[in-house]
Amino acid sequence: MKSSSTAKLSQILTQILMVTISIVFIFPVFYSIMTSFRVPGYGLTAEIIPSEFYFGNYERLFNFGRFPRYILNSVINALGGTIVTTLLAAFAAYAFARLKFAGSKILEGFVIFMMMLPGLTNIIPLFKIASDLKLLNTYTLMILVFGAYGIPLGIWIMKGFFLSIPEVLEEAAAIDGASPLQIFTRIVIPISAPGLIATFLINFVYNWNNFFTPLILTTKTEMKMATVGLFDFQHALEGNQDELLAAACVVIMVPAILLFILTRNYFMRGMVEGAVKG
Amino acid sequence: MKRKNNGYAYLLVAPALFLVVMVMAYPTLYSLYLGFTRTRRGETTFIGLKNYQAIFSSNDFFESLQLTLIFVLLYVALTVAFAFILALIFNRGMKGSAIYMTIIFLPWVLSEITSGVVWRWMFYRDYGILQNLIAPLFNDATVITTPAGAMGVVIAASVWRSTAFAMLLILAGLQTVPKEIYEAASIDGATGWQSFWQLTWPLVLPTTMVTIVFLTIQAVNNVGMFMSITNGGPGRATEVLSLHMYREAIEFFNFGYGAALSVILFLINLILAFIYIRSLQRESALAAA
Repeated sequence: MKSSSTAKLSQILTQILMVTISIVFIFPVFYSIMTSFRVPGYGLTAEIIPSEFYFGNYERLFNFGRFPRYILNSVINALGGTIVTTLLAAFAAYAFARLKFAGSKILEGFVIFMMMLPGLTNIIPLFKIASDLKLLNTYTLMILVFGAYGIPLGIWIMKGFFLSIPEVLEEAAAIDGASPLQIFTRIVIPISAPGLIATFLINFVYNWNNFFTPLILTTKTEMKMATVGLFDFQHALEGNQDELLAAACVVIMVPAILLFILTRNYFMRGMVEGAVKG
Repeated sequence: MKRKNNGYAYLLVAPALFLVVMVMAYPTLYSLYLGFTRTRRGETTFIGLKNYQAIFSSNDFFESLQLTLIFVLLYVALTVAFAFILALIFNRGMKGSAIYMTIIFLPWVLSEITSGVVWRWMFYRDYGILQNLIAPLFNDATVITTPAGAMGVVIAASVWRSTAFAMLLILAGLQTVPKEIYEAASIDGATGWQSFWQLTWPLVLPTTMVTIVFLTIQAVNNVGMFMSITNGGPGRATEVLSLHMYREAIEFFNFGYGAALSVILFLINLILAFIYIRSLQRESALAAA
């Protein structure tokens, strides 16, 4: 049959194309992992895979500068901000999805608008305000700022999830005499767990990767996040200790990549929900 | 039917809105005020429109604005083109599509800084993998050290980082197109090319618009990729508006001037946000129809 052999050929061509595209997309990650295994002191060469593998760069990295402290700061800020976002956005999203109240349309419009307002346009006054309030270089500031930045998208994502739950369940519970809080914690939260998880994961990765906000809001070395530390390392190490710089890249990449691979579907549904539906 | 319960609703909404107002809305308004002042080392003096006069008579500003425009146009066009092709391939389905999807998404979960560090390596003189690959096309010049080349590298890295996200949005749009439409069209004798332009394209156009505006906003506000790949150089060849604002405000401690620049950036974003909300509305109207 002619048509089945053309179908087969097109399948093979698609596979070749997709493998090529995949190599292009994964190459920089692969390259930084390979570079992190180079023997120190020789710099970069044109070969991609080092002729000799050296695993000591990671140990060197954790004794280099304040790298462990940067990682700790990243964990505290990213996790703290994500928890604030997920909690507050869940409450607000539930109200927007389920309750009728005066001004809800306007408030929702405000939230969408804030989602379109990137951190860049408010960071300079934020620096000034934080400095006046003596909040620069504190975990509190970073957690509140990350918490706030995530809220608009979080509301948007979770509203979509709440709307996809049949309302009958909540009505039945209300008839059985459950209080609004009981309905929220015993029925809504468990059913909409995928939405909560998606919001949590997406925001954690955003915060973990955020560079510009901590760059501005932290001026003391010991409070820097790993991304800002990496930026400093880039200036100090590039061209002479690339293998150490590569190890730092890998340590920052790995948590985000692992989280994504393990929880892919939550991420993707959350992103589609957040950007186009709502 | 939504239940009416004002007090409870406000209680749920208030904490989130309070934080958003304090961290996002209030500082934005405050930058309007700061833009009318000279603020240096804790001293604030009201100077009226002087910052804006300085901005609009500065060559640096218009150069940065032009660079932002070039970046936005090329980045958005390339990202959407690649994303569209990938979305069409994924929409047809194939063996191993879950694995391919995961791999293509990896750049999106990386920080701008890690991405930037790696992309710079790839354009290193003598050792850079991509530099060596493309050098013959550019008379063996070190691409990243030329003005156009530096911009090109940032664009390539940014496209690499955003394609998967754009693809996911377009794919979501494609998947809402019912398969029966294509069957009907192919019975009527439409070729693949015809059914793409006459069926697929108009149906996913609204989603594509949303994606375009989303990417544009990202692009206008991109700082991290520029800082880690070129840091604005060579010279000022890649000092886009966002980076220009950062430099004026933070590196040169010129807060009032920086705030005025951020007001201009805010206005650009405002226009984009309106277009975004418009295209969202058009999209949901279409989905409802």
